[in-house]
Amino acid sequence: MRLLVFTVLSAALMVVDARFTWLQPLRAQLGLIVEPIYWAGSLPVRAWEGATQELSTRSELTAENEQLKAEQLIMQRRLQKLAALTEQNVRLRELLNSAALVDDEVLATELIGIDPNPFTHRILIDKGEKDGVVLGQPVLDARGLMGQVVEVMPYTSRVLLLTDTTHSIPVQVNRNGLRAIASGTGNPERLELRHVADTADIKEGDLLVSSGMGQRFPAGYPVATVSEVIHDSGQPFAIVRAVPTASLNRSRYMLLVFTDPRSAEQRATESAQAQEALDREILQQALPAQPAVPANPPEAAQ
Amino acid sequence: MVVRANNTWVIWLTFALALLLSVSSMPKFMELGRPLWLALFLTYWVLALPHRVGMTTAWCIGLLADVLNGSLLGQNALILTLITFLVLTLHQRLRMFPMWQQSTVLLVVFGLAQLVQLWLNALTGSRPPTLAFVLPALVSALLWPWVCTLLRGLHRRLGVN
Repeated sequence: MRLLVFTVLSAALMVVDARFTWLQPLRAQLGLIVEPIYWAGSLPVRAWEGATQELSTRSELTAENEQLKAEQLIMQRRLQKLAALTEQNVRLRELLNSAALVDDEVLATELIGIDPNPFTHRILIDKGEKDGVVLGQPVLDARGLMGQVVEVMPYTSRVLLLTDTTHSIPVQVNRNGLRAIASGTGNPERLELRHVADTADIKEGDLLVSSGMGQRFPAGYPVATVSEVIHDSGQPFAIVRAVPTASLNRSRYMLLVFTDPRSAEQRATESAQAQEALDREILQQALPAQPAVPANPPEAAQ
Repeated sequence: MVVRANNTWVIWLTFALALLLSVSSMPKFMELGRPLWLALFLTYWVLALPHRVGMTTAWCIGLLADVLNGSLLGQNALILTLITFLVLTLHQRLRMFPMWQQSTVLLVVFGLAQLVQLWLNALTGSRPPTLAFVLPALVSALLWPWVCTLLRGLHRRLGVN
């Protein structure tokens, strides 16, 4: 009898949880217990990491330092180029009268737990509702997109990774703009492109970036690199496999991206207004400076 | 000396420990065979104190596990209730069995539970490869004698009833 009652109750809960959103607040409140438990669960790992860090030798540290310096140099070189390119891009977009590309805002976050079920690829991060995290928010690491937030709790949230079997993301080949959908395979090192025509121009080594279609992920972030393209005459579509650029099962620090909720037109008008305001300001600074030249020569010299 | 009655906090402490163990980080190759800690601990307490730990307890702990794992609310609750029901039905016989026989029966019980888990997972779309789902049940059944001895020691020493 009691079994029946509990079975019915569980079934009802499952259906409600899967189909409706009434249970979200309850879930969020119960989620408060999640963080301490995951924190306690990861204690041994943390202790081990702390110990290895303490015991790492001087030479290791110097080697790491050197490597980081080299990396920084490479990044800075890229950044120099990027500044020029961004400038150019904005100017070209102005010419085309389209929305200016705005830099997205990000929030750094740390991994605190991994889903115990080995067949799902989900992780827990240490930012939640109190930090402004919203459902569906994209998550990046230093090399590319990692996934999206699927559950928000007060101080933590759950992130579904790109490689989960239930996840797909719209992508674009960076080289030629060819659009496709990259689906997870359950293997942390592989994505599959679905329904790519056999004759499509896609080859090994192509970089796939998010296309921004589907309005979930911001456009232009690297997602994966094509690792193999198989043309099988017996198959209606080419089999395209790709390796995610983000290190999905290694990254400890991640970024939450806050995308602009405004529409493209709004963004265009607002950026135009901002530009106008900036112009006016510069003009105002420049204009009164001229009569002030005799009174204040050093400033004018600047 | 009067036996201190009713140390129920010990039971809850062991359940908290089981919850912790069920999400603690493990090496990748061991994840596939992660023991069903909650089910193991629950089975012990149901066998030892059927008047105190029953289906209601199982259901509540299952809900907590659901929140912790991010599965559908009610999924683990249903499975733990099912395990408790089976153990309660078999409980008179199970207590008489020697340890290895208990393990064998529990293997079947946990296997059934894992099968239900698999079906429920299939409903939500994440389908694991076949037969790997029996592994946790097997590992749990092998762990049963140790868990049982350990908890019995705790049970006797602290006089939980």
